[in-house]
Amino acid sequence: MPTSSSGRRIGVRVLRLKLRRDMRRQRSQFLAIGVTIFLGVVLFGASYDAYRNLDASYQRAFTEYRFANLTITGGDTGTIAAKARVADGVEAVEARTQADLPFQTGDTKLLGRVVGLPVAGQPAVNRVDVEAGDYLSPGRPDGVLVEQHTAEHFDLSPGDSLTVLDQSGAPHRVTSVGTAASVEYFWPARSRQQVITSPDDFGVLFAPEETARELAGVGGPNQVVVYYDGGRENAALTERLTRDAGRAGAADVMTRARQPSNSALQEDVSGFEELAIMFPLLFLTAAALATAVLMRRLVDAQRPTIGMLRAAGFSRGQLLRHYLGFGLVAGGLGGLVGGVVGLLLAGQVTDVYTGELSIPVTVTELRPATLVTGIAFGIVTGLIAAGLPAWGASKVPPAEAMRSFGPASGGSISLFERILPPLKRLPARWRMTLRSFGRNRRRTFSTALGVVLALVLILVSWGMVDTVQTLVNQQFDEIERQDAELYYQAAIGPADLDAVRGTDGVARAEPALNAEVTLSAGGRRYQTSLVGLRRDTQMHEFLLAGGGTTTLPAQGLLTGEALDSELGVSVGDTVRVTAPGAGSGREETVRDFVSEPLGTLAYTALDNAAPFAPAAGAEGNANSALVRFEPGADRDEMRRRLSSLPGVAAYEDSQAIKTAVDQYLGLFYAFVGVMLVFGGAMAFALIFNSMSSSISERRVEMATLRASGAPAPMLARLVRAENLINVAIGIVPGLIVGYAAAAGFMASFGSDQFNFDLQMRGSTLVLSAVAIVIVALISQIPGLRALRRINVATIIRERSG
Amino acid sequence: MVDMVPRMVGNDAERLAIRTRGLTKTYGEGAAEVRAVRGVDLEIEAGSFVVMLGPSGSGKTTLLNLIAGIEPPSAGEIRVDGVDLAGLDEEQRTRFRRNSVGLIFQFFNLIPTLTGSENVELIAELTGGGERASEMVGRVGLAERGDHFPAQLSGGEQQRIAVARALAGAPHLLLGDEPTGALDLDTGRKVLALLREVAVERDQTVVLVTHNAVIARMADRVLGMRDGRIVSDELNPEPVDADQLEW
Ligand SMILES: Nc1ncnc2c1ncn2[C@@H]1O[C@H](COP(=O)(O)OP(=O)(O)O)[C@@H](O)[C@H]1O
Ligand SMILES: [Mg+2]
Repeated sequence: MPTSSSGRRIGVRVLRLKLRRDMRRQRSQFLAIGVTIFLGVVLFGASYDAYRNLDASYQRAFTEYRFANLTITGGDTGTIAAKARVADGVEAVEARTQADLPFQTGDTKLLGRVVGLPVAGQPAVNRVDVEAGDYLSPGRPDGVLVEQHTAEHFDLSPGDSLTVLDQSGAPHRVTSVGTAASVEYFWPARSRQQVITSPDDFGVLFAPEETARELAGVGGPNQVVVYYDGGRENAALTERLTRDAGRAGAADVMTRARQPSNSALQEDVSGFEELAIMFPLLFLTAAALATAVLMRRLVDAQRPTIGMLRAAGFSRGQLLRHYLGFGLVAGGLGGLVGGVVGLLLAGQVTDVYTGELSIPVTVTELRPATLVTGIAFGIVTGLIAAGLPAWGASKVPPAEAMRSFGPASGGSISLFERILPPLKRLPARWRMTLRSFGRNRRRTFSTALGVVLALVLILVSWGMVDTVQTLVNQQFDEIERQDAELYYQAAIGPADLDAVRGTDGVARAEPALNAEVTLSAGGRRYQTSLVGLRRDTQMHEFLLAGGGTTTLPAQGLLTGEALDSELGVSVGDTVRVTAPGAGSGREETVRDFVSEPLGTLAYTALDNAAPFAPAAGAEGNANSALVRFEPGADRDEMRRRLSSLPGVAAYEDSQAIKTAVDQYLGLFYAFVGVMLVFGGAMAFALIFNSMSSSISERRVEMATLRASGAPAPMLARLVRAENLINVAIGIVPGLIVGYAAAAGFMASFGSDQFNFDLQMRGSTLVLSAVAIVIVALISQIPGLRALRRINVATIIRERSG
Repeated sequence: MVDMVPRMVGNDAERLAIRTRGLTKTYGEGAAEVRAVRGVDLEIEAGSFVVMLGPSGSGKTTLLNLIAGIEPPSAGEIRVDGVDLAGLDEEQRTRFRRNSVGLIFQFFNLIPTLTGSENVELIAELTGGGERASEMVGRVGLAERGDHFPAQLSGGEQQRIAVARALAGAPHLLLGDEPTGALDLDTGRKVLALLREVAVERDQTVVLVTHNAVIARMADRVLGMRDGRIVSDELNPEPVDADQLEW
């Protein structure tokens, strides 16, 4: 029949009109849902695309600067380079000199590094990006490029000069010809042991290869860097070159993935990737919950209407689609706007990130796929959330139309009263409050879950910062007890220590040894520092991996616990310790694993370290002095006094690294702040919607109470208490789940470079909980205002004809 | 059944529970203006049982709401239980309702999560008389079923609880808007009989609103409403026992 199909069309049109009107009536609630979906999609778009941008930026930087796929240190570099050059799949090989040498700029003596570069032009591997001044030139053997972090910190411009101490300790004046960024030092890590450095302690200079050799006191290059075809990884090639290098006596073979700067940044980027998925999922879950709560309420309230529509001939499918329409509109709009904003923000986030780390290459691409995925996320969230209530709506029997009001829902004694019978003696209004949780369990659950999700978001981000900060404090306050370390040009003698002890402001000084060594066991090698200390040292606390503390054994080593995975050794096993120029090295037993947040070092008693000592006959076998200041000593003054002592090549202030970390954490605090806002917004949307739904469900009861003379402030108090209790129900599990999520997230960062087990401060938990309570209070304001404004006369008239 | 003594009709202002002059309530403005109550002059003596009768839309609920202090009048005077309602703000009207009025609704409007007794307690506590609750529940004959939740009670039982709740604050005035509208004949009669009994015991004034003319037969006085005005006012010298009502 023609009328039937046109009637159908009109019916659909009217349903659409109803959809629009219903949404307008509940606009704040739909807005809250739309905003949550929007935030989730923005977060996804911004962080996922930023992650992809970063990854792309690094990849492009790697090819642009021809970042070495393999770095081979030591051994017969001539043979190693020759073999690499002819190997299949190798695009370029460069042999160069690298030496860790102290240098001085102004009053600051730091442990630097000199890297040789060809004067004829950029090297074939590990090119540098000249940011100011010029590249090295043949006419300037004393001209150096200063690495950007060093240049920035000491404000070094082309033309400024510095003093480098050569291998024998003799000073050489060099002059900056320019500032350079290097793909090897995007993150200024000295080694896998010292990933976090302070520019006061570590700096890099790029010198003409000839000059570098002269300073290092070597006749030829000591390092070979290899770039594979197109910069692509090639496991078979790596394996072959590693074998060849081993035969040619190389001390260390490092893949690109293990390169300290790169691996630190990769950890960061993969953390970024994890968050880019995890955080948006939290939001979309929250949005789905809020949508489900709202839709449920809407469908419940409209049962008579739905029954009427069904009675009037609308099909179940039409009603299903009608109610799915709510989810579709909220999800589609939130997803679309969120996707676009996310896309735009991704570029900004990338810029901030690469800018903050001074990475010279920034790739920002617009990725339609991310936009489409974001929109799809929004729509799917909306549809899933609206799905169940819509399904319920489609199942309402037409007979519902005949009932003017639904059957009174059953009440029951609350769980609280059953657990705690004295609660039964509470005033009836408080019993009413307690029972509201059982009345709509889904809503109670959804509010609590919203709190849990928000806390996960907050605690994961905050936990990250807490962990870094706590562990850095642990490393530099609890484990390393010195205020400063003085590095000497050669072995240190008794007179040197006496001079240190005699310096004003010094409370204590101890000799120590720092030697670059290679540990090997079962065919695996690990390059690290061997630290020699007095057995009764007061400058280092050895925290055992299993808990408790220990002291240095007379023989054997204490090592970081990651040696277990690096070399496959356990406590009691032996490792071979070799050092350049120390022959075939020595077998040492691993006596215990220590737990240290930064790096994986080997410790031994100074008396036991003779083979690795720089020169015989020194005070113990030491080449440095650990110093503790008197309380209140001026650190700058101490740096000046101690740096000027004879023989001191470099000065390392323990607090400087902490300061550097704090500065670096500033960025992270901004991130935590943003996550607090996001988490707060998420909790707000959910609590707001639950509360609106809860109030609208009880309008008649509230109006009845008001009509019976219950003061509005009393009802507001009850509702507020109810919400706070509901939020409190979510807080405890939220803190637990959030803590667990944070722990899981931090655990994914573990390596020999960092050992970042979650360290969360109690105050973080408390403050997060307080933040949620504050959000809960704020999110109630609109609902309470609506409650105060309810039109008693109108509402009771609705139900009493 | 207590024999009903007809109330003395007089002009003693002290005995007036309700007095209005030119009482007017309008909703909306301009073209959308609805004059729900138009200049009602009314005097109701304390202790009387009054039924307001009128077709749907005639303004009965509005007038009852004005008397209950649920809504402020747009114009005119209204004095209930010795209180001048026209001059009160929302908070003062709330206090007035709490102390002076007991309300009974067509659909009972009980809190579903509180048991029958607790529903009564809730209102009793408002006036600080929590202990009165069980007495009231007993008075409406539900001592045994008081700890059932509304969903477990029949319509008649729910309305009895509602009566007990209306009594909980010991008001001088009981106001009911179609209190039997959702009940069957027999149950409705019982509720009305109960209302009459308790009101007499407590010397309370009762005003019931209904469109059911049969109920009017049990009242002392019947007011007819139409288009926001009182169009008839009749004393009923021989009110019928609620049990005897037929409809
Ligand atoms: N809040 C309001 N806004 C506008 N008109 C109203 C409002 N409340 C009631 N009315 C109108 O006032 C008139 C009287 O209503 P009401 O007192 O409920 O009548 P009754 O109870 O006799 O059926 C009706 O025309 C109704 O539509
Ligand atoms: Mg009415």
